[in-house]
Amino acid sequence: MTAAPHPGRTRRTVVLAALLALLAVAMLAGVGLGAVPVGPADIVRAIGRALAGEARVPGDAVIVDIRLPRVVLAALVGACLASAGVLYQALFRNPLADPYILGMSAGAGLGAVIALTLTASATALRFGVVPAGAFLGAVLTIVFVVRLASLRGALDVTSLLLAGVAISYVLSAMTSFVMVFFRESMTSVVFWMMGGLTAASWPYVWMVTPMLLAGIAVPLLSTRELNLMLLGEDRAAELGVDVERFKRVILAAGAVLVAAAVAVSGLIGFVGLMTPHMVRLALGPDHRVLLPASALGGAVVMVLADLVARTVLAPVEIPVGIVTALVGGPFFVWLLVRRNGHR
Amino acid sequence: MSVRLAYEAATVGYPGVEVVSSARLRVAAGEVVGLIGPNGAGKSTLLRAVTGSARISDGEVTLSGRSLAGLTPRERARRVGVVPQQVSATFSFTAREFVLMGRHPHLGRLQQLSAADTSLAEEVMARTDTLRLAEEPVDTLSGGDLQRLALAQALAQEPEVLLLDEATSHLDLNHRMQVLDLVRELADAGMAVLAVFHDLDLAARYSDRLAVVAGGALGEAAPPPAVLTAGMLSEVFRVRAVVGADPVTGAVSVTPVLREEAVPAAGLGSVLVIGGSGTAAALMRRLHLAGYAVSAGALNRGDVDQAVAAALGLEHVALPAFGEVDPRAEAAVARMAATADAVVVADVPFGRANLGNLRALAEVAPRVVFADGFRGERDFSGGEAARLAEGLAAAGALSVPGDIDSVLAALERFTAR
Repeated sequence: MTAAPHPGRTRRTVVLAALLALLAVAMLAGVGLGAVPVGPADIVRAIGRALAGEARVPGDAVIVDIRLPRVVLAALVGACLASAGVLYQALFRNPLADPYILGMSAGAGLGAVIALTLTASATALRFGVVPAGAFLGAVLTIVFVVRLASLRGALDVTSLLLAGVAISYVLSAMTSFVMVFFRESMTSVVFWMMGGLTAASWPYVWMVTPMLLAGIAVPLLSTRELNLMLLGEDRAAELGVDVERFKRVILAAGAVLVAAAVAVSGLIGFVGLMTPHMVRLALGPDHRVLLPASALGGAVVMVLADLVARTVLAPVEIPVGIVTALVGGPFFVWLLVRRNGHR
Repeated sequence: MSVRLAYEAATVGYPGVEVVSSARLRVAAGEVVGLIGPNGAGKSTLLRAVTGSARISDGEVTLSGRSLAGLTPRERARRVGVVPQQVSATFSFTAREFVLMGRHPHLGRLQQLSAADTSLAEEVMARTDTLRLAEEPVDTLSGGDLQRLALAQALAQEPEVLLLDEATSHLDLNHRMQVLDLVRELADAGMAVLAVFHDLDLAARYSDRLAVVAGGALGEAAPPPAVLTAGMLSEVFRVRAVVGADPVTGAVSVTPVLREEAVPAAGLGSVLVIGGSGTAAALMRRLHLAGYAVSAGALNRGDVDQAVAAALGLEHVALPAFGEVDPRAEAAVARMAATADAVVVADVPFGRANLGNLRALAEVAPRVVFADGFRGERDFSGGEAARLAEGLAAAGALSVPGDIDSVLAALERFTAR
């Protein structure tokens, strides 16, 4: 097509810049729209004042302390979920894999709830303990689900999805059980479980940010290996990938991402499924583009979903997990139908 | 030549299963070694052990003298390229991107593809006739195209050892030759090639040495004519076959005649077939399969009919190549005719050299069946053969159409009991 040795590189830059701009617009909308609408110029000025440490004017508190952390957190959570989706889809060579469907979100949820109830008295502990519990829950779940799905030899995709859904149910039931036992914290936990960003605040942002960076750094440095994994494990090994080690690294990185998202926002489904899929349809399967573009795309999707959750029934707020499920469920069905139609 | 790939008493398999034990084989730079053997014998497992997909539970495999165990997957992938049996492409990378993936083991973590990488990819795609597919998504390509792309991908690794696992099984005739000619060329330029073949003729034609994998063991590698013998084919592949030379390439050529399991036990009766020059090969096989105890008259060595009679294990009088049916041979044929329930004379031309085959039938004329009658154009003996045939016909010999079914129908009257 073109004689240039790197036709992909400029395209990649353009795509990522466009997504970044889209994210900025979505975030401005997210901060600006609400019970009291705020114009983009006011938002920028308020943020400027906060960064410069100047005195606040009335209205700054709503923007800087309430809406901004929530929008930033939504973006971070969306990025975590979509990146995790990309990683698991590559690992299992299947576009239907996603942390929610694989049961990891439920596992992280149970881990987080247990951590939450154990440390109910010491709020300070939660920031370390809840994500740790979520991570542990996510890792144990994915290891168990993969083992379960490969009982009859090679890992087959139908078993993987079925095992994920089944384990998801069991873990959710166990979560409910824990909640019944610790009645006093039930309401907040229930709301958290449905997936929401109502509790968003800057400390949550500071907790999720390093987890996102830690979870996505290694995969971003391994995009070629992720591409090779799509050719099958044997072929990836033939072409020089240390497959067993790589799988463990990616499973762990994905679990960090899922744990970060679940710890602050509960169970939010389908973002990790939809976003990578749409990005792949638009930009192709190359992880050098797919992974960063999905992270940005997930951020956009999540900011918009949260905006809908906050405003559509205002002043009542619906958990954002309901919004993503209402859109994502049918999307998943469409994917299944389309996939079967191809065969 | 220096040894590139060596199995040193290597036992290979999978967790809990040993597939091939104590394999010993050395593949040197510049040679193509073919692995042959029945399905499931472990040919692919031997290859997979080199790339870590199968396990080496004992002994070792070395690459240019270095044990595989001491190489990282990347180091190994810089030395060994593989063309698998089946290539899966479920994601829509372009063919060019697919081939460039072969550069992975040469690239550092943060290193981008260089102009040298892309031009190398173009070169290997040109050599495998895939350059015209460069911008096509691989998930839309045919199995044959994918297989050639996998070869291009493997060559992009710039390996010194190439492993082919039935790499041409999905290719048409033209591309099969193209790929194997290219492999031969690569070997001649110094690559060491270890290839699994199902097609024995291809194996013989393109390999310097062949080794048989069967019964959990790897046989010694030797030049094709020493390995592809009727005995080996019967023992390992359970097939009786004619082993000859390909008339064009001179390579060993195998024509399977029948499966060991297909040899019927029950005898319908005995039939002597008079043939030669390939006129009786199909007839003897069919009669044998139908359950007749078949014997053949005097046949010259080097004649297809003689090879088939030998492969089938039929009693016959073997003459030297171009030798005459002398009185001794004629007497032997007459003895066979005397004990046979019937005699079929195939559509064989008669000249001075094989008249004896016809003369030997004088005593059994009523039990003789001429396939396709006896027409003048079969007589190259100056009238003598025609006279003998007329004599036999006068004494009761039958004439039937030349097709095998007619012959089988005619035989029923002699052998029905």
